[in-house]
Amino acid sequence: MTKPNRIPMLPQAGNRQWSASVNEKSVSKSIPSDAVLLDVLRDRVGTLGVKRGCDMGTCGCCAVLVDGEPRLSCLTMAAEVDGKKITTVEGLADGHHLAPLQETFTTYGGSQCGFCSPGFLIVASALLEKNNDPTDEEIKNAVEGNLCRCTGYQPIVDSIRAAGKILRDGKEATNPTDPHSNPHPGFKGDDS
Amino acid sequence: MSDDEEMVGYRQQPGKISFSRPGSGGKDQFSTLRDEGMIPESQGGNKSQPWGSHRHDELVTSSAIGKRTPLIDSREKVTGRAKYGDDIRLPNELIGKILRSPHHFARIKSVDTSAAEALPGVIAIATGADASAKFGVLPVTKDEHALAVNLVRHVGDLVAAVAAEDEATALHALQLIDVDYEILDSIHDMKEGLENSENPIHDRGEYHIGEANIQKRVYQEFGEVDNVSENAAATHHSNWTFGGINHGFTEPHAAVANWDSRGRLTLYTPQQVPHYLHRSLADVLEIPMHQINVYRTFVGGGFGGKSDPFPHEMCAAILARKSGRPVRITFDREEVFLTNRGRHPSHIEMNLHADSQGRLCGIETDALIDGGSFASFGHVTTYYNGVLHTAPYEIGAFHYTGARVWTNKPASGAMRGHGAVNSRCAVEVGLDDLADQLQVDPMTLRLANLLPPLSATITGFRITSTGMRECLEKVRKASDWENKFRKLPLGHGIGIGCGFFISGSGLPIHWDPNKFPHATVHLKIDMDGGVTVHTGAADIGQGSDTVVAQSVAEVLGLPLDMIRVRSQESDTSPVDLGSYSSRVTFMNANAAISAAMKIRQELLDATAEITGADAAHMVIGDRRIYVKRDPAVGVSYLEALHKAQEERGALVASGAYRTPPMGRAHKGAAAGLAPAYSFSAYAAEVKVDVETGQTKVINVWAAHDCGKALNPLSVEGQIIGSCHMGMGQVLSEEMVYGRTGHLMNGNLLDYKIPTIHEMPHVTPIIVESNDPEGPFGAKEAGEGPLLPILPAVCNAVYDAVGIRVDELPITPDRIHRNIEKLCRAQGVSDPLDLTTPKLKLSSLQETLAKRAAEHEQRDIDRRNNDGIEPYHNGALFGYDPTLPADEQSDEWKVSVIPTSEYLAEPRLAGSAWKHTERRHRGESS
Repeated sequence: MTKPNRIPMLPQAGNRQWSASVNEKSVSKSIPSDAVLLDVLRDRVGTLGVKRGCDMGTCGCCAVLVDGEPRLSCLTMAAEVDGKKITTVEGLADGHHLAPLQETFTTYGGSQCGFCSPGFLIVASALLEKNNDPTDEEIKNAVEGNLCRCTGYQPIVDSIRAAGKILRDGKEATNPTDPHSNPHPGFKGDDS
Repeated sequence: MSDDEEMVGYRQQPGKISFSRPGSGGKDQFSTLRDEGMIPESQGGNKSQPWGSHRHDELVTSSAIGKRTPLIDSREKVTGRAKYGDDIRLPNELIGKILRSPHHFARIKSVDTSAAEALPGVIAIATGADASAKFGVLPVTKDEHALAVNLVRHVGDLVAAVAAEDEATALHALQLIDVDYEILDSIHDMKEGLENSENPIHDRGEYHIGEANIQKRVYQEFGEVDNVSENAAATHHSNWTFGGINHGFTEPHAAVANWDSRGRLTLYTPQQVPHYLHRSLADVLEIPMHQINVYRTFVGGGFGGKSDPFPHEMCAAILARKSGRPVRITFDREEVFLTNRGRHPSHIEMNLHADSQGRLCGIETDALIDGGSFASFGHVTTYYNGVLHTAPYEIGAFHYTGARVWTNKPASGAMRGHGAVNSRCAVEVGLDDLADQLQVDPMTLRLANLLPPLSATITGFRITSTGMRECLEKVRKASDWENKFRKLPLGHGIGIGCGFFISGSGLPIHWDPNKFPHATVHLKIDMDGGVTVHTGAADIGQGSDTVVAQSVAEVLGLPLDMIRVRSQESDTSPVDLGSYSSRVTFMNANAAISAAMKIRQELLDATAEITGADAAHMVIGDRRIYVKRDPAVGVSYLEALHKAQEERGALVASGAYRTPPMGRAHKGAAAGLAPAYSFSAYAAEVKVDVETGQTKVINVWAAHDCGKALNPLSVEGQIIGSCHMGMGQVLSEEMVYGRTGHLMNGNLLDYKIPTIHEMPHVTPIIVESNDPEGPFGAKEAGEGPLLPILPAVCNAVYDAVGIRVDELPITPDRIHRNIEKLCRAQGVSDPLDLTTPKLKLSSLQETLAKRAAEHEQRDIDRRNNDGIEPYHNGALFGYDPTLPADEQSDEWKVSVIPTSEYLAEPRLAGSAWKHTERRHRGESS
């Protein structure tokens, strides 16, 4: 059997130095010059909260904020955003304080399997940043590029609306490290 | 406890306690009293029980059950910390890639991997020669290989796998693998699969049916099947074509395999059925099961699409074994479509007959389903296409012929609403048509033909609780049905559809000669007071971890944050069969409750020892155990716990659930058998643009009987999500195969999942029928809610424009073609002049309404009456309800073998019975 002459389709691209601020931490990595932002974030920076769902900009799971604007990282060359400020879902919480949006996604059922949640959260946070009192129509327009297969979207709209209300009313989000229940209740005052 | 009995025991004085109490601090210093509004009447509480009491009533502590509970793992998800399949990154990992067949059907003459092996960075290559053992989710149809052995059966079938240092090298290596194929004639039309072929796609040996590509055939006749059409006052006939549907979960498949230094394999994968994967891995890798740890990662959506053991999971393990390093394989979206296991493309012929009294005197269904290239769950799917529409209606005759054929397409399998969705759509649209012919309201027609609670269907399924009637009534009211049905203007319509689905399957898939339970739960409570729940139930986003935690919390009177669930590793979890057939809440929560009851008893006994009060009179409240009538007598949870732990340490308990013996004895009687069934009714309101054919669903009122909503937030989420998925199948989703047989839309741009703009407003309505067998009364809510949306939309389209659809999805071009046809039939040139169906009620309406009212009373009497007599399908047709009808009359048939009369003129799928199995032809394999 004679072997056909094969031409590799993936010539190795040269490396380049890439730096950016990811979740307010500056990173500098040597990456292939043709690297896609999604790959860089997942494989080099380690922000695995950025999800890969379709690789062609149809599902919205890979959305990140670039200088505050939502972008699909699977359709963004890393080189395009060199030196920019990138926020992934990991950057939404403030220490152990969940962002209101993250809190409402749990309490309103906006997240079921959770795989699309990072994308929705990123896009919605950009919306609420500009407008913390969006109409349902505005919410829908903001997340129209994101697919969710579990929730039927309705709980997601509820979550975003509720987060807007928290932002307007200034209520602080809960801190999951706060002590929860005391297993030994039933007593008044100190025990010593 | 009687009033004159003297209260004994040591009373705790709040704040006056002489020893420092054990346990940790916290901001919530006080246990709250039990919320009487959540305690059932049967236990002296205020929660009314219109559906009667339940065996778990005394376990209700008002802690967790019935409250809107955020998923306990949702914070992991919203912070991006949840680790899905591809997020498992082990040190020193290799990237695995798979070489897939470019041909529909071909014989592999040779595979030459030498050039790929020589490529720097390539560490291991596997081919079919590395794993010859077959596997499959059902033990009776093991027909898959990790990598193709001899034959490739569809475009995308796995041929070889490469593990390399990075993705680019692995992809490059795939191009260097030389495969010599001999191309065989492929089959793409499922009808061809019924005919004999020179090269059947599989060889079933002596069980092979003819020389055809028939994977499974079913024939069932029940009831007064003879002359059913002659006796009918109205007959509906339709011929449906359903496209194939993909699950469309957002997370592509991924698997990571790692062999440790002791020679044990850990396989990380987003799986719905880790246990079946566990078995298959042992088969394929030829090592004992105890040497494998299946680690279920977070699952980014399953819907049935991650419920087979998959070849790529085997490949990861094989490559990791060869290379000695961890291997990660992640699919791109096209590979997900080529792996498929989605809903079967189907041809369904449906005949429905109603007699002059508006009774459903016959259902004749013929379903030909396209299984693609492997069996997967196909055996079950073939049955489900028939048997799952034998309820909720009482029927006079049921005749089902079904066949599943192999074609050279990616395999179909289980998908949400498994096997029931398409035929349910056909039945419900048929009922709408019958109502039209009989000139009655389709709601009333349904209400007058329902099976009562505690009854048996025509095929012998045991119906325990049913809230079907309440679902219909609530939907009628919520949707303002009376003012909308047949009264809306052209292009605007409303329709109704019902559903019926299993809550767990009665028999486990593996028919081992033993009595293994379906679900087992272990509890461990150490001195910290927290409860560790070990369960193998796979949380795929539906919230099974949350439900099991809630169940334990409820019984032990603890807040949810004291419960931690460990459900990911087979090393630590007792076996649970998996997240399929809507079984997890029902079975796993039952197992959890039985484990928690053992701990509860130990806590009560310990409290009795401390206080001297009688354990029989104690209740558990919020983190406190006390005498019901005198709450001052009691101890805190931790004190009781520490007493119980004296001398022995941590409390451990195991609980299990196994279905009771059920069902009848005919062949196939076990298919569709479930310990309980869910019911649902939806009304959908649509707008159809008669000029463009564009359909938009604007409102859905969705009532689902889930027995008891353990977590209403999740139940509503399941209902709304089901509407979304089912609506996708009606409006836009279809796996399209082109003229050459190739999948044309294997990506999420061309495979059209509804976006947020297509989504109507859904009003979820929860009906709680308090199932006697379910945990706290619960039944399933994950799959059943999908069924009614399809027919509800189809019926609404008829109401809007007068078109009876019989092909899904109803894309604008299909609707437009039908509108043009309708214009010609009505003799109008402008579609805006079309006349829509009008409602003119006949005298039968009154008869039906009267019967519905009588049945409503009958149902209430039955469900509130202990020791009620049996009710078998057939009573509506004059048979004695206490006996199966076939035991009363020879007219009532039960047959699973076709007669020669039938075979002279079989229907489409029924023609599968023209072939004889090899073993019956006297040939050996």
